[in-house]
Amino acid sequence: MAEQSPRRVAVTGLGVACAIGTDIESFRTSLFAGRGGIARLRSLDTSEMKVGIGGEVDPDFVPAGLKRLRRRPADRAVDLGLVTAAEALEDAGLIDGAPPYEAQPVAVILGTAVGAAESNTTLQQRFAERGVRGLRPTSVPRVMDNAISGGISIHFRLTGANFVVISACTSATNAMGTAYRMVRHGYADTVLTGGADGFFDPFYYGVWNNLGVMSKNPDPARACRPFDADRDGCVLGEGAGMLVFESWDRARGRGAPVRGEIVGYGESSDASHITSPSAEGQAAAMRAALASAGIQPADLGAVNAHGTATLANDVCESGSICTVLGGAAERAPVSANKSYFGHTLGASGAIEAIASLLGIERGLLPPNLNLENPDPECRVRLVGGDPEPLERPFVMKNSFGFGGSNGVLVLGPGE
Amino acid sequence: MDVDVAAEVLARLRGVLRESAVEEHDWDAVVAETPIESLGFDSLTILDVLYDVEEEFGIALDPKQVVKTRTIGEIIALLEENTS
Repeated sequence: MAEQSPRRVAVTGLGVACAIGTDIESFRTSLFAGRGGIARLRSLDTSEMKVGIGGEVDPDFVPAGLKRLRRRPADRAVDLGLVTAAEALEDAGLIDGAPPYEAQPVAVILGTAVGAAESNTTLQQRFAERGVRGLRPTSVPRVMDNAISGGISIHFRLTGANFVVISACTSATNAMGTAYRMVRHGYADTVLTGGADGFFDPFYYGVWNNLGVMSKNPDPARACRPFDADRDGCVLGEGAGMLVFESWDRARGRGAPVRGEIVGYGESSDASHITSPSAEGQAAAMRAALASAGIQPADLGAVNAHGTATLANDVCESGSICTVLGGAAERAPVSANKSYFGHTLGASGAIEAIASLLGIERGLLPPNLNLENPDPECRVRLVGGDPEPLERPFVMKNSFGFGGSNGVLVLGPGE
Repeated sequence: MDVDVAAEVLARLRGVLRESAVEEHDWDAVVAETPIESLGFDSLTILDVLYDVEEEFGIALDPKQVVKTRTIGEIIALLEENTS
């Protein structure tokens, strides 16, 4: 099967859960209505922390989804991934409702930045209190970073490869890029890909608090301000985004609706600093993605930015976009979806790629929230406070992660 | 084991099983005759049941004996043997 001529890669299924929606319909509605979901955290006591806001998923979503799948809660990230995967697989017509499922040759390639965070924190607490006796026999499968892909593969009986890609905030985009190449070059016909992260627990939210990159804005709704001059840091969000990638011919052959196309993918490393971004590294990934897609900067209708709203990212990223797009940057407005649901770390690339695909489907770019005073140092053209038409149907999705990992997808229309 | 004690042990065991399980079930419907395998436990996850039994009942069961059990009633019998 492998080493044949490159194949087109269709997107045939979508599933999402984040602070603005727990299915594609509610996510799309919030996005185009400009309705954000960042609030004070309800699931975590942050009274001793500097920051206590974030993008939480509706608390009923996971329990209701697990009940439908006949599963007990395992771990926040694993459960978010599992329930969201069900939506994507159903959307693609690969499963129908509750288990049992027929085995099928679908690969599971997912991103996560922190993996089974809740399970890790629970075990660390038990270990601190009781030593080795506090560790359950199944601790290893509970805390391993591939618990998400393994759990999904087992539950839905998906027999293709399963693994996770870990590259901080680039995880989902690197995973989707890997999935794209697997389908494009014939190593898999169908891949469930995307990412999941759930880390609103005292340890993981605590370490992010102490890193000092989170917004201290007292008004949650106004805290995440990508590319705004008054931005003061990122806001974290939990969530999952799942996509089914499939060879175009197979999708058409089985009559599956094609919701979009993965047109190209590029990646690079900064090879400079563990947390500070590099414009050269970012530009290299964007150029590689455009070359892979076989399109020119002038063909792009929009850029869906990494746009974390940290001081460092937004200036660096707007600079690298301008470098790569040149004069075409003026005709490719920049969106920053994190203003809606926060930075979902290892899920962010997937949730934001879904936002781009929904935008392409509708020919419309969702507004950027809290962009009241665009930073003059960010010289890209930004989508404003109202939706804007998408003039050309190709969108570039950027993701950049700690560790200097850069991943960029180019997305296009379906049927 | 008298009837009241057996019912109490079963009720506590249901809680242990629920805590250790991967699959969701109607735990109130679990009775002595319920096959352990029907609740989704396997040779790995049954070790968590053992662990939680020890936590709940303060009794360490022999894993070799537990993996031979087929029904919930057989686990209760093991608990009874080890308490008497």
